[in-house]
Amino acid sequence: MSNIILACDKVSVGYKKPVLTNISFTAERGSFISMLGPNGVGKTTLLRTISKHIPGLAGTVYIDGRVNTSIKTSELAKILSVVMTDKAAPPLLSVLEFVSLGRHPHTGFMGFLSPADQEVVTDSLLAVRAEGLADRFIDQLSDGERQKVVLARALAQEPRLLLLDEPTAHLDLKHRVEVMGILRGLCRTRDLTVLAAIHDVDVASKVSDLVLTLKGGTLRDVGRPEKVLTAKAVADLYDFDQAGFSAHLGGIEIRGDGLAGKAFVVCGQDRGAQAYRYLSKKGYDLATGILERSDLDAYVAGALGAKVIFYEDGTDPEPVLEKATLEMEGSAFVVDGTKKNEQGPWEALSVRLLKKANDKGFKIISLGEGGDIGPLTQALEEHVSLDKQPEALAS
Amino acid sequence: MEADLILHNRLLAQRATSRRMTVFYILGALVLILGVVNLMVGSISYKVSEILEVLFSPSGTSDLHFIVWKIRLPRTLACIMGGAYLAASGLLLQVYFRNPIVGPFILGISSGATLTVSLVMLTALGLQLTYITPFLTTIAGMVGAYGVMVLVVAIAAKVRQGATLLIVGLMMGYICSSVTSILTALAEKEKIKGFVLWGMGSFSGFKWIEISIMFVVGGLLVLAIYLLSKPLNAFLLGEDYAASMGVSIRKFRLFILLAASSLAGLVTAMAGPVAFIGLAVPHMARLSFATSDNRILVPGACLMGAIVTSLCDLIARMWLSPVELPISAITAFFGAPIVIALLLKRGVKL
Repeated sequence: MSNIILACDKVSVGYKKPVLTNISFTAERGSFISMLGPNGVGKTTLLRTISKHIPGLAGTVYIDGRVNTSIKTSELAKILSVVMTDKAAPPLLSVLEFVSLGRHPHTGFMGFLSPADQEVVTDSLLAVRAEGLADRFIDQLSDGERQKVVLARALAQEPRLLLLDEPTAHLDLKHRVEVMGILRGLCRTRDLTVLAAIHDVDVASKVSDLVLTLKGGTLRDVGRPEKVLTAKAVADLYDFDQAGFSAHLGGIEIRGDGLAGKAFVVCGQDRGAQAYRYLSKKGYDLATGILERSDLDAYVAGALGAKVIFYEDGTDPEPVLEKATLEMEGSAFVVDGTKKNEQGPWEALSVRLLKKANDKGFKIISLGEGGDIGPLTQALEEHVSLDKQPEALAS
Repeated sequence: MEADLILHNRLLAQRATSRRMTVFYILGALVLILGVVNLMVGSISYKVSEILEVLFSPSGTSDLHFIVWKIRLPRTLACIMGGAYLAASGLLLQVYFRNPIVGPFILGISSGATLTVSLVMLTALGLQLTYITPFLTTIAGMVGAYGVMVLVVAIAAKVRQGATLLIVGLMMGYICSSVTSILTALAEKEKIKGFVLWGMGSFSGFKWIEISIMFVVGGLLVLAIYLLSKPLNAFLLGEDYAASMGVSIRKFRLFILLAASSLAGLVTAMAGPVAFIGLAVPHMARLSFATSDNRILVPGACLMGAIVTSLCDLIARMWLSPVELPISAITAFFGAPIVIALLLKRGVKL
């Protein structure tokens, strides 16, 4: 038996007019594959072509080594099951009955369940940790509970390949994490292959074995998320200009518009991250220093589009200090997030930089313990209220 | 742990099954009781013992014998079958369209029948067809109902979306209705009352040949629907999910449309358009069995339809006796509040 469960060979999909062309990739058993791309790029259409809901326009889809269109639907249903965005919640149907519907391809003419079928149904409910919902009505569940039950129905088909269209849309954080965790686990424990259209780049980068990025009517890239999901690739995929993706942080940072002015943050050793995000949210253009390259602060600041001043240990510090001082020009204020009692080369430089800022008459706002932004928010709020007062008086 | 759960879930299923069996027994008993009551009461009322005696001796010659065998029994059977078929038809279309306010006439079946019946009842066309007079309206109704059905099915082959088909059906209904309106406006006064009454349905005057046709054709269709309740259940999740579970959508869609329309057309041709049964009864069945499982609901809705129609016919005959009311007057009287309540109380989410 080949280890490849799904293969697309130069596949084109669409309704009459192609939406995606020349899609080629292979999926190994037990792997989690995420499909990323902007809305309307054709993720759903590709899924529907693989599941034989619509005919492909060109190329071939192989499922378990066979051309998908040559497999009878009733047989395909035993290999492949789907979870769609469709909110399927018929009235007066218990969760147990709903999940039992998934046994459809395996049961006899009238669809009555054998003891073995009942076992699979219970097993599927257990797999999604929804065993406690068995006697509830499906239309009375919350979105998160229902999605787990919908997943259980798909599992009751005992598929080897599971296609999911935005499985975590509309879910709260808890269920989002839970559903992805369950799917990830199923890949490992049951050798199930998951192909999911996902919107969360950060989630996809954390759970996937393989990532497909779709853009501009074709497959942009395919490979391990560590290789495919670089900051540049993600920004390009979604046409980001107000946000940045950090592969190291595995998340999206939302950039400020810079309309509030410029702010310089002096920090290091992870104490600046919160301040960066806060200032960015408030609309400040950021510059920061003086940081070590591997500092967490550097990744956050980078993703936020900040100008970051680095210092390499053992090199001449004076030009770096000079550069930082120049960069500071025009800032509305300087934030001090340094740790006073530490004396590494970066801290020493930071302290010198702060002294220069002070000499130049910059307003300096100090962060609290461990980079707490309390003092910063307080200072900004006071500042804002001062700004607004004349206006209020005028009206 | 897992074994316990399997047992627990099996117990849940068993409990639901035994509850549903009880409901079946109750509904079955009600059909029988209402059937007998319908034979007993009328302009002359008889005792149960008299009725039973006559029923088991088909070759008598008394007045009672004539009344039971020629009038009341055909009517009672027609009510039972008509109600059952309309309910099954409505259930089928509600599942297919995944829409709770769909009924058997949503695709224009009754409007088609009304149009052709108005042609024979309101125009001179009927006069030229006198040689088939006893079945004239029935045949006309059948032509209209199945004419519309063929059109709808032909269009269904072209449109993918259920909702589109629904609108097509509605539009067909409007077209037929408008032609009927024109014919009504042009018709002679005295003919109109008869036509209007036909348009509200009645189970009176059924002949045994009609009962036989209804029994054989309708019975086979209902049996086929029951046997296909497994794919029908898959349809509860919508066409896409049904397809993903191995149901052949195109064939099955054709079957649903044909079966539902044939049943509705059969009843409409013989009894006129009986309103509300097909819309309201599937909901009543769903609520009393507390399930959407069509293996339960197909027989369940049939029984419920038979009960409701029998009851409505009893009221239609007896309420303002000797004047007999059209059955749609009664079914709507019961049906409309139910539909309104359902719409207002979406908490039940039907």
